[in-house]
Formats: sequence, C-alpha cells, structure tokens
Amino acid sequence: MNDPLVLGIETSCDETGVAVLEGFNVRSFVLASQTEEHARFGGVVPEVAARAHVEAIRPLVHQALASAGVHSDQLDAIAATQGPGLIGALMVGFAFGKSLAWTLEKPFYGIDHMEGHLYAPRLEFAEYEPPAVVLLASGGHSQIVHVRAWGEYETLGATIDDAAGEAFDKLARFVGLGYPGGPAIDAEAEGGDPAAVPFPRALRDRPFDFSFSGLKTSVVTYLEKARDNDELPPRADVAASIQEAIVDVLVEKTFNAVEETGVKTVGGGGGVLANRRLRERLNEEATRRGVRLFVPSIRMCTDNGAMIAAVAVDRIRAGTPSDGLGSDVDSSLRLGS
Amino acid sequence: MKILAIETATPASSVALGDGGSLAAMAVRVDRRGHVGFLMPAIEFCFEQAGWEREEIDAVAVDVGPGPFTGIRAGIATAQAFAAGVGVPLIAVSSLMVQALRAATGHRRIWSVVDMRRKQVAAAPFRPLPGGVAPDGMAEVLGFEEFRAVLDTDESDMLVVGDWQALPEATWGGLHRVRRGRPRFPAADVMLEIAAIRAAHGDFVAGEDVRPAYMREPDVQINWKMFRSEGLWP
Ligand SMILES: [Zn+2]
Repeated sequence: MNDPLVLGIETSCDETGVAVLEGFNVRSFVLASQTEEHARFGGVVPEVAARAHVEAIRPLVHQALASAGVHSDQLDAIAATQGPGLIGALMVGFAFGKSLAWTLEKPFYGIDHMEGHLYAPRLEFAEYEPPAVVLLASGGHSQIVHVRAWGEYETLGATIDDAAGEAFDKLARFVGLGYPGGPAIDAEAEGGDPAAVPFPRALRDRPFDFSFSGLKTSVVTYLEKARDNDELPPRADVAASIQEAIVDVLVEKTFNAVEETGVKTVGGGGGVLANRRLRERLNEEATRRGVRLFVPSIRMCTDNGAMIAAVAVDRIRAGTPSDGLGSDVDSSLRLGS
Repeated sequence: MKILAIETATPASSVALGDGGSLAAMAVRVDRRGHVGFLMPAIEFCFEQAGWEREEIDAVAVDVGPGPFTGIRAGIATAQAFAAGVGVPLIAVSSLMVQALRAATGHRRIWSVVDMRRKQVAAAPFRPLPGGVAPDGMAEVLGFEEFRAVLDTDESDMLVVGDWQALPEATWGGLHRVRRGRPRFPAADVMLEIAAIRAAHGDFVAGEDVRPAYMREPDVQINWKMFRSEGLWP
C-alpha cells in the first residue's frame, strides 16, 4: 500500500492547525495562532478561540491542500481532533472535518489530541519507538505517559491543579511580563540567576504528579514581602528562579517515570516543551542516564494538524475502521480510555 | 436548483433538501446539545430519502443566527465543508427571518425572537407581505424588560413568534395588542423557501464571508483573584 494521504485538523485550543501528510512525510503544515487575540485577556478565552477557529478553518484547509499540491479528491482520509479541549473550539474543526469527509466520500477519524502529541516526534525522528516515557506539557495539560506500544498508553502522572503552561502564564502576569507566559519568562530568565530564590518544588511524595499552586502562592508571598521590605531582586533572577522551579519538577517527574518503567526512550510534546531551559535540562539528564531523547522542533511540539493526521495514518495502515457519522467531540477525552 | 439547508441556530436542529422551493427530504431533532453528532447522519438520511447524489447540490443554505453560538458554528463549519467539497456557493439565512416567514399570515406586525440565554432575546420586527415578510426594523439583543418596553411602545397589532416561552409570563401582562404564536424555532424547510429566492437572484455569499450573527461580544471574565497586584518592577 502506498503511504496514505491524510488531511489533519486541530482546533482544540487556540491554534487552528491544518496539515497534509503522506505517510509520516509532512506535505504541508499551516497554522493560525491566536496568541495575539488572547494576549489582552492574559489567557485563552474559549468564546474568543471558537470565533477565531470558525473564521480560519476554511481558508486554512484550502491553503494546506494547495501548498501540499494535493487535490481534495486524492485524499485517503480526513482526521480531526475529537478531544480533550475547549468544546466550542473542538466542534468547529470536528464538524468541518466530518462534513468534508462525507462530502468527498472519504473515511473520517476523530483523534485524541494527546495521542497526537505522542505521535508528533515520529514525524521528525524515524528511530522514535516505544516503549517510551513522554512528558506532555502545555497551557491546557501536563502529564507523563508511558507509551508501551502505539495505541497502548498509561498515564503515570498528571497535574493535580494548574497545567505547567498555566503556571507560566499566571506567574508571568504576576511579575509583569506579558502573555503567553512561557516565552516571556524564558526570555526574561536569560542572564538571570536560577538559584537566586529557592522556590518550592512540590509533591515530593507523589513521584509522577505535578502541582503548581504551591509555587504560585510562594512566589506571590515572597515578592510581596520583598517589595514591602524594599528588597526586590532583579526581575531576571525571579524569572530564572520561577522557570527553574517549574523545569525541575517536570524533569524530575519525567525521569522518576523513566526509572520506574525502565524504558530507554523519552519523548516530549506540548507548548511548554518550547522552553529552552526545559529542553536543555531534559537533554542533560537523558545524556547522563544514557537514555535517548526525542523532543521535536517547536512547531511540532505546539498544537498542529500534522500530529493529528499522523495518528490517522497509523490507523489506516492498521486497517482500523473509520469513525461513524454520528461521532461527536468529547472535551474530556482521556488517553487510553 | 437543488439546495441543502442546515439549521442549528436554536435547540431545534434540522436539515432539509429542496428543489426550487419544494421539499425533498427533512430531518429534525430538538436537543440543546449534540449538533455535531446529529448533523451528518441527518444529512446522509436526507440524501438517501431524496435519492440524490452529493454532486447534484447547487448551493448550501445555512442559518447564521442569531442564536446560541456553539450550534451556529457547528452548522456553519458543516455547511462550509460541504460547499467546499462539492464546489458550490453558500446562502446565509437569518434565524429571525426564518421564524417570521413561517409565521406570515394575516396583517399583524411580526416580532420574531430567539432565546439568547442570560435573560436576553434577539428580536426583530417583520411586516407581512403577500407571499412573504419583509424586515421592518433592526435586529437587537434585548433584556426581557427592554423587550417588554419595545412592545409597549409599538402601536401595531403584533404577533410574537419564536421561543417566547423563554420569557417570564409577566412580560405579557396587559399587552392587548400582542398575540403569541408559532413557530417556536426556525426550521430548515422554511430556509429552503428563502434560499430558493436568494439563489434565483444570485444572492450568494463567499465561504469566508459566512460568519455567525453573534450580536454580542464575548464576555470575558478572567479570574485573577490570587494576584492582588501586578508589575512590581518599574
Ligand atoms: Zn496540546
């Protein structure tokens, strides 16, 4: 069988992503990012996100097909994110994908967004294979997944409060840096001393779970006290210390899972994996332990249509039946369920 | 001219196929949620009933609201994809107009309302004409009391149609010139009548110009309780 040509659509949060894959070969990759629209609110606003998706979806699908040089008739399947995510946002891409599939008489696949992230490194590294431990961290999700085989996943740990990206956003806002918080803190932390303020690393007793609410409280308390005493440290130091606290927790928990499972492969996905310090630390730790690390390029870490199409490519190769016409989005979809 | 009509602007979703204004097939379901699960099976059902092929469709009509946004977006995304898939134009129809057209009988001025939730309705007046209705003023989003005040100042004999059951009973007290009637929700078969006339006039909309008639800004509420101050550094 030739490599299947698949159109992938992702609209679960604030990026409208569309891509055409031929097997795991990316033929086109288009993205409309809404960051600007949400910046003035300091976070993703579901209604704003859904409005932007419905305006972007049609032109982006058109652009993805055109830049792949693929006519819609040539597609072997269409895939769209089914969940988890913001319900109103998910509905736009899912409805569009399902309708286009039926109209063109092509099979349709509803894809788990998190499984898409697990697949993303496959589009850049041919050697990336299970068993693996994968760190998924973004503004909407933070978890550690044990990939036993493709399609066989166990979530070992997850955030018990804010997602890592949310923690970055809120803390960036608090220290007067802009939105999105991850890149803002990353930039400000450059040249700062990550050991300047010893913020807490929470949940020592739960090896794979994250919590960032303690960190938030601690940062706020610390800074308010410092301000009252007129001893505010340079902002770069605070940013570097916040970043180090978050990164420490993510790295530690990931490698706890590596130890527990005995895997020799680590992967990463989600917008927080764009953080330079996190990438550096994961790399150091993987090298130290002789474990192979597969963190894809930033564009492939953040939400995109290619990762959604990738899962469908595998479904087609495995002969998995497509999803029924009556399928619907599921905003609380859980990996492996 | 064969038209597919998609209606998801209110809790009543429907899909219809028609040719020059005559109905070939229709599917209806009343449910606040699940537009996405309903639409494609309903469309397939209609095509089977009518014995039509997808490529026979000449235009896709879609209700752009006003109404609850999530359903409207599901309808628009579905309509846009179908239209793009077969390469046909779109026709954008107003939910208020669809209700008014179905109600069009007699001489009363028609007030068409759609429940926008949060104690508001979208409302617009229409004038009955032989064989149809014409808009007779602007569509607006109004609180229940504001809507009552509008009816109070309107001196015509009126017929209120749409989901007026969403308004409290007190809204209607002492309004002798007002009658309440059907339909409660817009429906795809009526959309076909509007779409047939629009199509005959070449009144199509480019895919990217089909936008929901929101009539309300997104209400943004960010909860930053934890952060009492911002920007500690100068
Ligand atoms: Zn994601």
